[in-house]
Amino acid sequence: MTQVPSPRVLTLDGSELPDRALIGGKAWSIARMKTFGLPVPPAFVITTEACKDYQRDNALSDALASEIANGILWLEAQTRRTLGTGPRPLLVSVRSGAPISMPGMMDTVLNLGINEDTEALLAAECGSAEFARDTHRRFLDLYASIVLKASALELEAGDEPAAWRAKIAADTGENVPAGVRDQLFATVRAVFDSWNSRRARRYRSHHGISDDLGTAVTIQAMVFGNLDARSGTGVLFSRNPLTGEPLPYGEYLARAQGEDVVSGKHTPEPLSAMSKTNPHALDQLLTACNLLEREGRDVQDIEFTVESGTLYLLQSRSAKRAPHAAARIALDMIEEGLVSPAEALNRITPEQMRILLRPRLATAPGPETPVLAKGEGASPGIGFGVVVSDPEEAETRAHAGEHVILARETTSPNDVHGMIAAHAILTEQGGSTSHAAVVGRALGRPCVVGCGRGTVTALVGRTVTVDGQTGAVYDGRLDIVEPSESDDPLVRTLAILASQHAPVEIHETVPSGAQAHSFDDIDFNDPAALAAEFAKLPKGALVQGAVFAANDGAVAQAIAAGVKGIVTAPRLPALIAAVQAGQDNHGT
Amino acid sequence: MNALNDVLHGIAIKKNGSPAQIAELVGYSQAETAKLCALAVQSGRAVEIDGKFTLTPLARIAIEADYSRIHQDLRRNSDFMAAYEAFERINVKLKGLITDWQTMEVGGQRVANDHSNRSYDMEMINRLAELHEVADRTFGQLVKGVPRLSYYRDRLLQALERAEEGEIEWVSDVRIESYHTLWFELHEDLLRLVGRQRVE
Repeated sequence: MTQVPSPRVLTLDGSELPDRALIGGKAWSIARMKTFGLPVPPAFVITTEACKDYQRDNALSDALASEIANGILWLEAQTRRTLGTGPRPLLVSVRSGAPISMPGMMDTVLNLGINEDTEALLAAECGSAEFARDTHRRFLDLYASIVLKASALELEAGDEPAAWRAKIAADTGENVPAGVRDQLFATVRAVFDSWNSRRARRYRSHHGISDDLGTAVTIQAMVFGNLDARSGTGVLFSRNPLTGEPLPYGEYLARAQGEDVVSGKHTPEPLSAMSKTNPHALDQLLTACNLLEREGRDVQDIEFTVESGTLYLLQSRSAKRAPHAAARIALDMIEEGLVSPAEALNRITPEQMRILLRPRLATAPGPETPVLAKGEGASPGIGFGVVVSDPEEAETRAHAGEHVILARETTSPNDVHGMIAAHAILTEQGGSTSHAAVVGRALGRPCVVGCGRGTVTALVGRTVTVDGQTGAVYDGRLDIVEPSESDDPLVRTLAILASQHAPVEIHETVPSGAQAHSFDDIDFNDPAALAAEFAKLPKGALVQGAVFAANDGAVAQAIAAGVKGIVTAPRLPALIAAVQAGQDNHGT
Repeated sequence: MNALNDVLHGIAIKKNGSPAQIAELVGYSQAETAKLCALAVQSGRAVEIDGKFTLTPLARIAIEADYSRIHQDLRRNSDFMAAYEAFERINVKLKGLITDWQTMEVGGQRVANDHSNRSYDMEMINRLAELHEVADRTFGQLVKGVPRLSYYRDRLLQALERAEEGEIEWVSDVRIESYHTLWFELHEDLLRLVGRQRVE
């Protein structure tokens, strides 16, 4: 590690891995990738020590300013670019990075270094005036909202930078500094100030984290995925996050920046598209992916950019995954010896198991199955029943034991009781952010929105099957299966494994000859009632109730109350909850 | 606006609310509110089921017809109306954010957020807090026009803080006065005050 020239600023050159408490989580993961020899855009970090100085003096010292300037010189030498000027402009990102991630810390400012001059140079270099102008707009937008705390600023794409700056000054009462170095210092101060934001202070006091830790600031060169035909950007998962299949799964977008993938303006290609233009970068990427998964011992989600044939890894973190994939990955990784069974079971959640066990269509409906309506699938799941248009009627008929589907033009809070009673929800109008969609998802009810005018009238009284994923409403009641231990090998294997690690027995039915204490009449939304019931139990009791499949807290309470066993169906969510409650008790 | 009207408005917003919940919203004592709720039932304006009150269909229409008369001054208050328009703009972002909270992108597909990824949840709650900080300035302006709206301002912050402490159901659970539930009620309240219709 080169120290330029004092420990308040450190360059991340991969020669060593500094202490996480000194450089913060973001810089630490960059340094870690560097020590593996992986290609990461050059970066330096302003340490938590500098933050402590700042908190004490309430100002950035001149000494620190000159060390930051040296850090920039180092970045310029590494990239053969210069900040704020030509011939090849350097743009940087500025990120906060506390040793422990916490809310309230400042967001990332991207593309710092762009101004009228460098915009023109960037336009020439990328061959796109539009891209350079948009980079300028995005920088001003982030700077205004993050550093100057603008409220609801909208910078129109068609305007000139001078107009954007005027708009920001009008909104915030402050000017964006003209010089890029002043912008950089103001951003660093904003990161240090965010350490004392309301949310960060609250979080620390709630979690017993010291106010003295301080945050670091990571300053990293931006790389360009849109320079030429051999440039591009993409995302790679070390395994398929939708199915769990143990093969790398990724997307690549040639001649693009990361934001283009996120914005959905362009359709990415599969990773194999890289093999034509950048076979070497692809090989390097796949090797890195393998290494990062083994080192992280979990599925990785890797963001990368290729700049004129050179691969750069921007970020690697544990990947989000669909419930089915989570289950398969846990089992595969145990098999591969990558994680212990206890660790694997700790990574899946009871909620994922509940989603995994949801009813699904027995067979995919073919063209012979009439589709009565089609809208946007807003909350996944399958529901069938008779269509009613009135929430009171839905509630009454559901109480009488009927399966009902509530169909409305739109929904409002007046309809929520009917939505709770229904097995699925349909609306004529609205999209994925409409009330019906939000409430449907919150309730876990399949929901299809925007089916179009006249749907309610056309469907009332008919029996339909609703697919909340695809948005299809089928005529009649289709065959539905519920995955179970007896017919789904994945569910069975997980249940067997979890029962070996659970601190109590979980049964689907009361074992013959045993007596179970029923919890079915207890209101489990009332923690006091639940606690009172547990207090009544003798040690080593057997408890029974649907609550244990639905509510993880109830399982933990039962274990804490010293029960011998729990009877609930399906078993799998309660098994996973029990394993995790057991691990918590052992202080792991 | 007379006291009975206030309470009828509270019943309309709270949907199946208890006198305690309605009292906090309209800013009367619980005893006073309970008395007015009972009066509303006697006069056929509301029905009571298990201690919770709902307007009758006719009362619902009558109260909506009354709003334009009761709030005519407010609707000419340009500061309040500007704050309302700002709320509508933030509302679009809030709806998108709640959707991002409930769903997540996995390998290019939107799936239900099963809340198994703590860093994703934390990122979303962080975004909610940032939106709240922006919205709070607008709440401040709304409260200047209608002081009782501070009810929402205080409760929204409480819901946010519970979510920040890890009780994630306080983001959007429909069965409790979560951030989204309160936001929706505030929106509904504002629509009635200014005389607009909700657009999906």
